[in-house]
Amino acid sequence: MTAQNTDMPVVDAPRINIAEVAEKYALVAALVVLFGIFAMLLPNTFFTWANVSTMLGSQSVLVFLTLALIIPLTSGDFDLSVAATLTISAMTLAVLNARLGVALPLAMLGAFAVGGIVGVLNAFFILYFRIPSLIVTLGIGTFLNGLTLWMSNSATIGGIDFALVMGVVGTRLFGIPLAFYYAILMAAVIWYVFGYTSVGRRLLFVGRGREVARLSGIQVDRVRFFSLLSSSLIAALAGILYAGTIGAADPNSGNTFLLPAFAAAFLGATAITPGRFNPVGSVVAVYFIVIGITGLTMLGIQSFVQNLFYGGALVLAVALSQLVRKREEQQVG
Amino acid sequence: MYEHDIDDFPPMPVSLAHAKGPGKRPEFTQVRSGQGLTDTPVNRETDMTQTTSFIVKSLSLGTALALVTMTAQAAEPDLATAQSIVDEHSALPTFTPPGKPFDAASCMAGKKILSIPTSSSIPFVAGIQEGMVEAAEEIGFEVRPWQNQGQPTQWVQGIEYAIANGYDAVDLMGGIDPNALAPQIAAAKDAGLKVFASHHRDVTDIKEEPGVDVSLPLSFSRVGEIIASWIVTKTGGDANVLVIGSDDVPPSQPYWKSFEAKLAELCPDCKATYYNVPVSDWATKIQTTTQSALLQDPSINYLFPIYDSMSQFMLPAKAMTGRMDLPIASFNGTPFILDMIQNGDVEMDVGESLGWIARSSLDAYMRDICEVGDTPDELYVPFYIFDASNAETAGTPAELDKGYGDAHVAGFRTLWGLE
Repeated sequence: MTAQNTDMPVVDAPRINIAEVAEKYALVAALVVLFGIFAMLLPNTFFTWANVSTMLGSQSVLVFLTLALIIPLTSGDFDLSVAATLTISAMTLAVLNARLGVALPLAMLGAFAVGGIVGVLNAFFILYFRIPSLIVTLGIGTFLNGLTLWMSNSATIGGIDFALVMGVVGTRLFGIPLAFYYAILMAAVIWYVFGYTSVGRRLLFVGRGREVARLSGIQVDRVRFFSLLSSSLIAALAGILYAGTIGAADPNSGNTFLLPAFAAAFLGATAITPGRFNPVGSVVAVYFIVIGITGLTMLGIQSFVQNLFYGGALVLAVALSQLVRKREEQQVG
Repeated sequence: MYEHDIDDFPPMPVSLAHAKGPGKRPEFTQVRSGQGLTDTPVNRETDMTQTTSFIVKSLSLGTALALVTMTAQAAEPDLATAQSIVDEHSALPTFTPPGKPFDAASCMAGKKILSIPTSSSIPFVAGIQEGMVEAAEEIGFEVRPWQNQGQPTQWVQGIEYAIANGYDAVDLMGGIDPNALAPQIAAAKDAGLKVFASHHRDVTDIKEEPGVDVSLPLSFSRVGEIIASWIVTKTGGDANVLVIGSDDVPPSQPYWKSFEAKLAELCPDCKATYYNVPVSDWATKIQTTTQSALLQDPSINYLFPIYDSMSQFMLPAKAMTGRMDLPIASFNGTPFILDMIQNGDVEMDVGESLGWIARSSLDAYMRDICEVGDTPDELYVPFYIFDASNAETAGTPAELDKGYGDAHVAGFRTLWGLE
């Protein structure tokens, strides 16, 4: 099963296409409008630097996870194990550092290595046995959930070295926790790789059509291997960030990031470079959702409205994007 | 199990040889969850002289006889004690002031507390928050619920919101482990906020909670004792209980242990088997686990899902295995389970009044903020048994916080100087 990209045919006309520009920046505009609405409604709470910096800092984990997702999505694979990888990475760090007294750098390395192992396992089953990525990553993700529960004895583990907390949310630059800058740095790296390197082009070609890519001389399996590996490694980094954000690791809550991350990835694919999973669009999408949820929370609106917003925003944004494209057939998934 | 050669033992009086210290105990296999609670003597082989062998054989015989006598004595279930515990919690709760009276309105005027629940989508938790908001309005200060969907990053946002917006205190309620938010709690303390936590662990699960000013654990272990007593009473001391718990919910283990201990104390011949099903697997695993356990051990005659919302997944398992006769006893007082009691699907449910929890938590928080001085270290809320005889007092269909009487409303109002 593949997650094919949904690019429009290349427009030949060199002049500025207003519809195209509108499509590219519609989500950015929506983000600004949404921010403006909440700022007017809640001038003393929402429209404050403290709130903006909190929103930027506390959702870096979701940005990281979305970025992890868009790599295999670009090369045509699903990775449903990213959230479980995040959780097991955070738990590995907590168990090594807080329970077994392993030094923080080593524990972080251990958590990162767990991500590497997951990536290799995913790639092995997908590429060697030719099993659809959806099935393999679903299975591996569930397996990892079991492992995490076993490792942690189903309990939250606190007491992680405070240096990690300081390095993630405890230290602020221009009032914003460092976690935000890590996420932006990661987005910049992926933006560069996707847009300006041959690796990025190959990822895209493989995603568009494996057979064509193979016949063009691209080592398709190798590209897919590294895309799955990078996805798991970035998810493991997200796990380390998560542990640093709350100073603890729990065996379940990380899994709740999976659907928001997918929503942000698909929402992000309607912006900046419409039709392609792209890092800048993903970051915009995450913060669009975060602004909506935070604003609703501050207004004291019941929590079910958050679901309405999550789901509604995704379907509406993709639907509007389709209108601009004159309802061209989508083949994602 | 202790396996020792007789020569390993230092000389000691014969009468104590089987009674004291490690290595001197008679051998038992402690058959734990899944296999019952009884201690069973096992065979052993020793290499010893004939004389020693004779002594040992005599002692073994003596021990066996003593054991038989002890077992015969211990096997009698203590039905009277069980019944008294059940009776104590079957009466409508009465209010006992948890501390000295104080003038809440004057010292709380203008104060703001941000209450962050484990997840706003849990009706139980949302009900408590509703009660807190109402009570705070009566007194004249603000409790603001922080709506969230159970994500720790949302809790983080909540604490930072409280710090940035001049709140006096943050309340982590309904299951948030304060140690899982250590950096944010430290920041709240630095900013001069009070930090409270309630209904998040069992009273016997004592742990350090740095930065938390008032911690109000709940006596889940008492609930375990009440349900053990109920089951002993209802089965006349002949119970084989299937227990389903969720170890990822922190109070589960102390709660189950207290049930196990009380059952063993009141009814040494009763048996209990514990299975762990994580919360995320309730919908898919509780039914299959129950079915397998019932097929494996047809002598099971009681079901005890430790949180009552699990019951709905056990009902299909009863039907599938043809064991519709099995009674279910549980805890939480969730309205749809009280409806099930009225329908006859569930036998009993221990409930706790949400309004009571709300007022009791606020009482403790205000005592701390107002420096009254006798802040409790446990959540004061009575446990009340619902069964077929009183389930309709909760309403038809049952409603949250109905059926417990209203002793707490007037009681707390008087305590806070509002009457």
